[in-house]
Amino acid sequence: MTAVLKPTLARCLWVAPAFAALAILITVAARSIFGMTPVLQESTLLTVAYIAGGIGFIVGIGGFDYWFTWMKGGELDPNDHSQHGARSWGDYFKFNTDHKVIGIQYIVFTFIMFLVGGMFAEVFRSELARPGQQVLTDQQYSGLISQHGVIMIFVFMVPVFAGIGNYVIPLMIGAADMAFPRLNALSFWLLPVAAFTLLSSFMFGSFDGGWTGYPTLSEQSGYGMTLYQLGIQLAGASSIATAVNFLVTIITMRAPGMTLFRMPLLVWANLATSALVVAATPFIAGAQFMAMFDREMGTHFFTVAGGGDTLVYQHIFWFYSHPAVYIMILPGFGIISEVIATHARKPVFGYRAVAFSSAGIAILGFAVWAHHMFASGMEPWLRVPIMLSTLLIAIPTGIKIFSWLGTMWGGVLRMTTANLFAIGFIFTFVIGGLSGVMLAVVPFDVSITNSYFIVAHFHYVLFGGSIMTIYAGFYHWFPKVTGRMYNEVVGRWHFWITFVAMNITFFPMHYQGLVGMPRRVADYAPEFAWSNMVISLAAFVLGASTLIFVYNMIHSARHGKKAGANPWGGLTLEWLLSSPPPIFNFPATPRVIGGPYRYGEEGAKHAIVPEVEPATVETTV
Amino acid sequence: MSAATDHSAPQIQPYRTGLRPEILGLIIFLVSEAALFGAFFMYYANLRVLNGIVWPGEFDIPAEATSINTLILVLSSFTCEFALLSLYKRKNGAVFAWLLATFILGAIFLGLQVEEYRIVGFTPQDEATGAIFFTLTGLHGVHVFIGLVLLLLGMIRALAGRWSPERHSGLLAISIYWHFVDIVWVLLFTVVYCLPSS
Repeated sequence: MTAVLKPTLARCLWVAPAFAALAILITVAARSIFGMTPVLQESTLLTVAYIAGGIGFIVGIGGFDYWFTWMKGGELDPNDHSQHGARSWGDYFKFNTDHKVIGIQYIVFTFIMFLVGGMFAEVFRSELARPGQQVLTDQQYSGLISQHGVIMIFVFMVPVFAGIGNYVIPLMIGAADMAFPRLNALSFWLLPVAAFTLLSSFMFGSFDGGWTGYPTLSEQSGYGMTLYQLGIQLAGASSIATAVNFLVTIITMRAPGMTLFRMPLLVWANLATSALVVAATPFIAGAQFMAMFDREMGTHFFTVAGGGDTLVYQHIFWFYSHPAVYIMILPGFGIISEVIATHARKPVFGYRAVAFSSAGIAILGFAVWAHHMFASGMEPWLRVPIMLSTLLIAIPTGIKIFSWLGTMWGGVLRMTTANLFAIGFIFTFVIGGLSGVMLAVVPFDVSITNSYFIVAHFHYVLFGGSIMTIYAGFYHWFPKVTGRMYNEVVGRWHFWITFVAMNITFFPMHYQGLVGMPRRVADYAPEFAWSNMVISLAAFVLGASTLIFVYNMIHSARHGKKAGANPWGGLTLEWLLSSPPPIFNFPATPRVIGGPYRYGEEGAKHAIVPEVEPATVETTV
Repeated sequence: MSAATDHSAPQIQPYRTGLRPEILGLIIFLVSEAALFGAFFMYYANLRVLNGIVWPGEFDIPAEATSINTLILVLSSFTCEFALLSLYKRKNGAVFAWLLATFILGAIFLGLQVEEYRIVGFTPQDEATGAIFFTLTGLHGVHVFIGLVLLLLGMIRALAGRWSPERHSGLLAISIYWHFVDIVWVLLFTVVYCLPSS
């Protein structure tokens, strides 16, 4: 009986519906008191039920228990660690404040969402395998491609980096946890709510205006569109909360001696990303609020008939969503720097330049949004400045590419799966980057806009870029997280099948786009039949290769051979701990005595972790 | 089982105590809040500058009456600061009194805003002008409401004697938030109420 009162998933099962029911009651009461007709407006009631149910879920899981005590004016124990750390399986399904547990929760949950989003892609690829329509209606096709994009971006790629960062960043900077452990747990538990909101839109005909949700399409869609707008708000709130947490953690909780230029590059990348998230994400929230008011309250933000402006949605949307592209790749850049330096046994080439280029990308990222709108009919004078700033952003990105090449140059490369993914990433990301530079040029962009060339470009930077870095990171830190080694042979199979299938899937799309095949259409001209069949077959192989990875991770986590504390010979702080790390990370405050990548120096150390806390050590610096 | 009694559990605390994490976190959060208002101001600027809409058009936005309301909110920023100053002088009764004064001023502000909505003569559904006017002021109103709740909690904790010069982060956070809401209002009042199209 007590299980339904304690903060568990069981409590969610009744608290969330109770909140939703209460909200519906209040709304119906309010509507009848104020004489609004009809009293039982279905879309309004559903919307308040979703919002209240989401809050109820967080309350049920225990997200507000601590703050509720504070609100009552109660005494709090800042050193109450009762929710900290996983001692059994069940703890991963609870509100847990340990950054390592939260990291795993994030990674596993978002990876499941990756599989779901990938399944959607396989379904519409089977539709696209042959001309004509066999499997899906137009409506279903549009719904699936929209869901594929939104799930991949908002509940996989953005949060999975938060997950990897959650696990690794506090270890890397020598902290016991994140700065706000409860906020951290809260931001994770917002994600299942967001995912549920987005996926459940299938019950209402899904949203089918593409992942961008442009008006006027979004104003004409079914109720699923409102759930898209709500789901993005929730995922956005989660990522802002995590970003605030990362920024405060990185700024205030670095171990003594860890100056800014002794931070590992993943920490730098996360600092830049978090700043981007904090400053940019509210813009998509604003855009979705306005679009939702248009749908649910009958305002005229984006309806021209009511004096509104349709195009400004795109401006506000891309003011977030272009920086979001960097949110989805900057942490990946950081991972690649870690992986390549460790596996090439060399210091990172041009450490400071790489650190500054992260900051440069973050700042320039705000000045390029309108390159998504060259063909939209926006103000013509905006085109050339945006084209120039877009071309300019290739420079800090190029700095990173040359840094990785320079790091590998003359190094003793260990071709582990992690390193293979890192090297494969450089290859595919450069292709995506080059087509990006092509797209920045206005005449070229205008001529191929909305064709498969765009699809090819962003899959090369998102699959060939972000997902390759995510895999590299998974393999690199797998021994640290589980304490066991993954199967290297299976890992290599996974890499090669993924790499080859990925290129066969996405490379022909360049050609299709250049000869004029439009995106977001379920059917196509017969001359594209052959290339589409190849793409679909490769996409199925690509999907199957993911299962190899899942098998490798699950099997190796249970039966892999023991990894020991430092299987890669890494110098950064996380490798100085046992694998998996103790519940409270460091037995005593570590001291950082040098740069993070002093590979190749005899006896060089980045940091020292004392066995016990010396009584006299002054821990404030 | 409980880690609260775990002897190996160290205190989770920042190494750099010069920066208080909760205050830094609040300031970063307020940057993101400012960006949220920024999205709506961006829409507003686009409407007036690029689309050249005459503001506020045929609608009447009562700038004079609202200027008094603005004064009330600015005043509440001072009373909020006095609460903090009294705390540093360990006058716990005064802390409660000043918080109460701030709360009352904030509540008057919110009440007058609602009254303005009632008499202003247009609705959010009237043109883009009405939509953005109500959304900007409404978003600010929601922030004032959250501020009032926080002030209430601050008073509850003041009565429970939880504030002291050594443990005042919560009160400091409430006051920073309240000042933020105030600053946003001054900006909003200037551009939305006092900047009609000529």
